[in-house]
Amino acid sequence: MTGYFVRRFLLIIPTFIGITLLVFAITRVVPGGPIERLMTQIQLGGETGALHRSQGGGTLSDEQLDELKRYYGFDKPMLSSYAIWLKKVVQFDLGLSTRYQDPVWQIIKERFPISIFYGLTTLILTYVVCIPLGLAKGMYHGSALDSWSSAVVFLGYALPSYVIGIALISLFAGYWDIFPLGGFISDNYDDLSTFGKAADIFHHSVLPLIAYLAGSFAVTTLMMKNSLMDNLSSDYMRTATAKGLSRGESVRGHALRNSLIPVATSFGNNISLLLGGSFLIETIFNIDGIGLLGYEAIIERDYPIVMGILVISSLLYLIGNILSDICVALVDPRIRFGGRGAA
Amino acid sequence: MSLLSVQGLSVAIRGDDGVLHELVSAVSFDIAAGETMGLVGESGCGKSLTAMSILDLLPKPQALRSAGTLSFKGESISSASPRRLREIRGKNIAVIFQDPMTALNPVQTVSQQISEVLAIHFPEQSKKCRADRVLSLLHEVGIPAPQERLSAYPHQLSGGMRQRVMIAMALACEPDLLIADEPTTALDVTIQAQIVRLLKGLQAKNGMAMLFITHDLALVSQVSDKIAVMYAGKIAEYGSAQQVFAKPHHPYTQSLLAALPGAHHPPKSPLLALEGQVPAIQDMPKGCRFVNRCPHAADICREEIPPQDITTDATVVACHRWKEIAQ
Ligand SMILES: Nc1ncnc2c1ncn2[C@@H]1O[C@H](COP(=O)(O)OP(=O)(O)O)[C@@H](O)[C@H]1O
Ligand code: SF4
Ligand SMILES: [Mg+2]
Repeated sequence: MTGYFVRRFLLIIPTFIGITLLVFAITRVVPGGPIERLMTQIQLGGETGALHRSQGGGTLSDEQLDELKRYYGFDKPMLSSYAIWLKKVVQFDLGLSTRYQDPVWQIIKERFPISIFYGLTTLILTYVVCIPLGLAKGMYHGSALDSWSSAVVFLGYALPSYVIGIALISLFAGYWDIFPLGGFISDNYDDLSTFGKAADIFHHSVLPLIAYLAGSFAVTTLMMKNSLMDNLSSDYMRTATAKGLSRGESVRGHALRNSLIPVATSFGNNISLLLGGSFLIETIFNIDGIGLLGYEAIIERDYPIVMGILVISSLLYLIGNILSDICVALVDPRIRFGGRGAA
Repeated sequence: MSLLSVQGLSVAIRGDDGVLHELVSAVSFDIAAGETMGLVGESGCGKSLTAMSILDLLPKPQALRSAGTLSFKGESISSASPRRLREIRGKNIAVIFQDPMTALNPVQTVSQQISEVLAIHFPEQSKKCRADRVLSLLHEVGIPAPQERLSAYPHQLSGGMRQRVMIAMALACEPDLLIADEPTTALDVTIQAQIVRLLKGLQAKNGMAMLFITHDLALVSQVSDKIAVMYAGKIAEYGSAQQVFAKPHHPYTQSLLAALPGAHHPPKSPLLALEGQVPAIQDMPKGCRFVNRCPHAADICREEIPPQDITTDATVVACHRWKEIAQ
């Protein structure tokens, strides 16, 4: 089994190259790239009568164009410039943002803690709430608790997260003024005590977290509930009762672990999804996270940043999948990856 | 006094329409200590519902015991508290099920699952003592290299081995009664014979009684002291195995026996294989439930439920015309 996971980790390399090469190729052919944008800007500038306009009424000379192409790395064939890019990535050099002229790594690093904070908190809260809730709903299927929680969970699922976000802001930050309108920390953050800092972050994060969680609760809760209910009616649960176990004991001792298997399977997927952030929620709550950065980078054709985020998110995704397989192997003894096959 | 006495047991299932259907109707039988009673009938006739209602293992919430009294060693278990019932389950009455593939927990090892039943009923037992008992049980049920099997998961065992594990689990507390619900149906024919032999051997050794359920008449003849033949939720004929096989009174039993390979056909029984089908539960005939397939059916059969007559050789037969048929 260790061999299997080593192989899985090695497989990250070709998969990673495949993903990045594809997106790299797309950045080459999609219209509206950085050079075209520059040319448009200059043309527009020409029409509005800017001072520094070049000869030929707002177009670039061939030399200037070549210069630009070299600067953006568009002068070489696609594969060789990809190779150059990849070589730099391996040395942890993601290049310079064409928009900010700052190192991409620097820019991403600044936003990353915020996205990680929201991602991890959402992930942990999802499991901490959904697993017990799903179990309770499964055990007391049809009870008032089950119906009411279903109503709430489905409402959260049906409403798009930005609608929830806007509703939360207008109610709790606008109308009642309980929580701040947005941002990640207050302006006077640096003056606060450690406890004050934690309270400040908490205060800022309540509304966005609700918006993040609203959509993710339904899937995990219902997966947990259905999985438990399937297991409750299984033959081995009847065996457990026939042994003399009470219902609670047989659920804890037998159904629980079995019903966690599908939830464990979805774990890796959730890791990578949540760390990507959601640009809609980040926009609404004015949070400077990865989701917003990536969205802006695509709109602005800031390809080094697009590629930089892709590198990180694809690695997270690939590693998340392996983690999820490890989780499944831990809860389900029938899964023996790679080694002697299961029956 | 009998070990288990079942009187007038009925089991109903709530259909999708919300209506209760009585799928098992007024079933009565007794099992004496150490005795094997065979419950035989076509699949779907209500054998499992009958057996599962003894320990209240019916599928909930659809199924419920709608009538009848059950007593075990003189104690009423149909009115026992859930707590008392849990004490009896696994300790005094144990069950093995039809499908050993699904009856074991897939994520627990063999030793975990067997020692659990010991832990439930003998909590004071030491871990060491329990582990020794598990090993000797595996040995007893004929599992080769039991030491190595302790840490095996069910999926690593064959169907026959899994059923042996189930048997070991059932025998762990030396129950007075073993309910075996089609224990060999899911297994290969060669394995079937081994499991039946194992059960008979263990039964003789432990002196336990057994309720052996099967749709296989040939099999039931090998193991049972008494048999009850069930048809569409009712007992058609019930008596000593020897009597029922030698001289079946009920037309249904007769046709079942006639259909056995190599059986000499009882005289006056024209039928080899049963024609027609068991009526659906919604349109059960008012009188005898076998009426649409019975070669001896008469008007009275359509109208009136046949009484449970007792024949001269002490078999119970639920047929209006058994006397005429016998002549
Ligand atoms: N959980 C259930 N829900 C609905 N119908 C059931 C259920 N269990 C059994 N039945 C019905 O009850 C009848 C008797 O079932 P069962 O006792 O399992 O038969 P047998 O064991 O003799 O094959 C069958 O016709 C079956 O359709
Ligand atoms: S009661 Fe009538 S229909 Fe039923 S078995 Fe007897 S003869 Fe046949
Ligand atoms: Mg059955």
